[in-house]
Amino acid sequence: MPNSFSRISNIVILLALCSVNSAFADHEHMSNELEVFLAAEAYHGSGHVHAADDDSWVSADVVFGLTQHQFRVFGELYVTPSERDLERLQFGFEFVPETVLWIGRFHQPASAWNTEHHHGHYLQTAITRPFIERWEDEQGLIPQHITGALLESRRPIGEDGAIQISGGAGAGSSLTHETMTPIDLIGDNPGRHRLSLTGRIAYLPEYVGTSSFGVLYGHDQISTGSPFVLSALNSRHAILSVYGVYGDWNSEPWRIIAANYYVDVALDPTARNESFISGYLQLERQLPNDLTVFGRVEDSARMQESKYVALFDDRNGDIDTALRRQALGLRWDYVKRQALTIELSHVVSLNRRSDEVRIQWSAVVP
Amino acid sequence: MKNKRAKWLLALLFGVAATLPASADEALVLIVSADSKVEQLDSLEVRKLFLGMTVAHNGDRLRPLLNEAEPRLKEVFLQNIVSMTDMTYDRRVLRLALQGGRSLPVVYSDKSTLINSVAADPTAVSFAWATDVQHDKRIKILRVLWHD
Repeated sequence: MPNSFSRISNIVILLALCSVNSAFADHEHMSNELEVFLAAEAYHGSGHVHAADDDSWVSADVVFGLTQHQFRVFGELYVTPSERDLERLQFGFEFVPETVLWIGRFHQPASAWNTEHHHGHYLQTAITRPFIERWEDEQGLIPQHITGALLESRRPIGEDGAIQISGGAGAGSSLTHETMTPIDLIGDNPGRHRLSLTGRIAYLPEYVGTSSFGVLYGHDQISTGSPFVLSALNSRHAILSVYGVYGDWNSEPWRIIAANYYVDVALDPTARNESFISGYLQLERQLPNDLTVFGRVEDSARMQESKYVALFDDRNGDIDTALRRQALGLRWDYVKRQALTIELSHVVSLNRRSDEVRIQWSAVVP
Repeated sequence: MKNKRAKWLLALLFGVAATLPASADEALVLIVSADSKVEQLDSLEVRKLFLGMTVAHNGDRLRPLLNEAEPRLKEVFLQNIVSMTDMTYDRRVLRLALQGGRSLPVVYSDKSTLINSVAADPTAVSFAWATDVQHDKRIKILRVLWHD
């Protein structure tokens, strides 16, 4: 929960960026961007399961960017009734077209889902994101934010294709009680934030296309002084090594998104190392009248045996970690930049099962 | 009396036809300012540019201006050059904005304002019906993108 100082700081930063935006709007070679992704959601779950942090009834994701010559400034501020976070703040320099070095806080590039959808619900066909892709403050298992440097490059290969390379290095998340906490640029930073190295190499059949296939890697060093974590893991340190493969295939009217992660958790010699696997496959099909039907299957192996995974299950009435989920939904883009979506899902978590229904309105302004 | 009414009807039809952009020989052209150093852009560069990617020529970063003066003009451009529907294109450029704060192409809904903006900026690139720009000395036509 942010304090009043951080709330004010968020607003001041946003206003400052907007005013810089306006001041330079007419300057030669200066371009700017401001988009607000809005969403409102209703939720019902069987078995007395409460809505999770990911199911805020209303949210706004403010994205702002400024480009002058080869320099870029970019930020993302995510606001819900219980959260106001400057999710990303990046300062970039584009050495050559489509090769940018960023400094700041960014989303780690080894997530297949989050680097595509970030916090903007409107651009995500389904209402929910796969459990393995959850953010740190939603009891996510893999650190998703790094504060440091990110290099992104897209180079042509062959007749039409491209190779996309992204690598990020910097301070990752600390582990306090049952939540990982990335560096907060304007608030408190409890715990130790150690090295995080992540990367992806992807092949794009078309340079300007949206299909891509690639491999993902993440290395996160985590330390903790929390008695709760120490007693649960019997270890002061954990080194997460994440190896992933993913594919995002678009050929209208079809789209398939799939990813699989192998996560190795190395603990102190006094404890036994662990590993688990988690993956998902989502299929989308556009229909007449601006309708899109979608289905997603999430599955895992050895998660129920992992002490590290159990650490993030806070048993407060919502489902934090799912072993399996099957979801089915329908989205209706009833007008430009606005959509209504319904999603039904069956979730098997570490200690319960639930059937859930969600209805969401999502939009982008302007 | 009948003859007079027929003449009025014919005049009205010609009047309406003159205001319509669609004609048997309509052509969509790629345009830059007459002062621009750009002499040619291939299809991939045009797609990259209008999908929010960086395209540079002689050290200048080009700036795409989206012509929405007429719905048909944009539809022809998106279908034949960018190979996307309007909704897919919109989601695609929004995604680029979300991924890295890339600027979306500036949208113009007035033909004269668009042509004046292209003429005034040597880095601007846009598209228009040939009939709207072929006699404008401030505008350089790079090539025909599509014709009926």
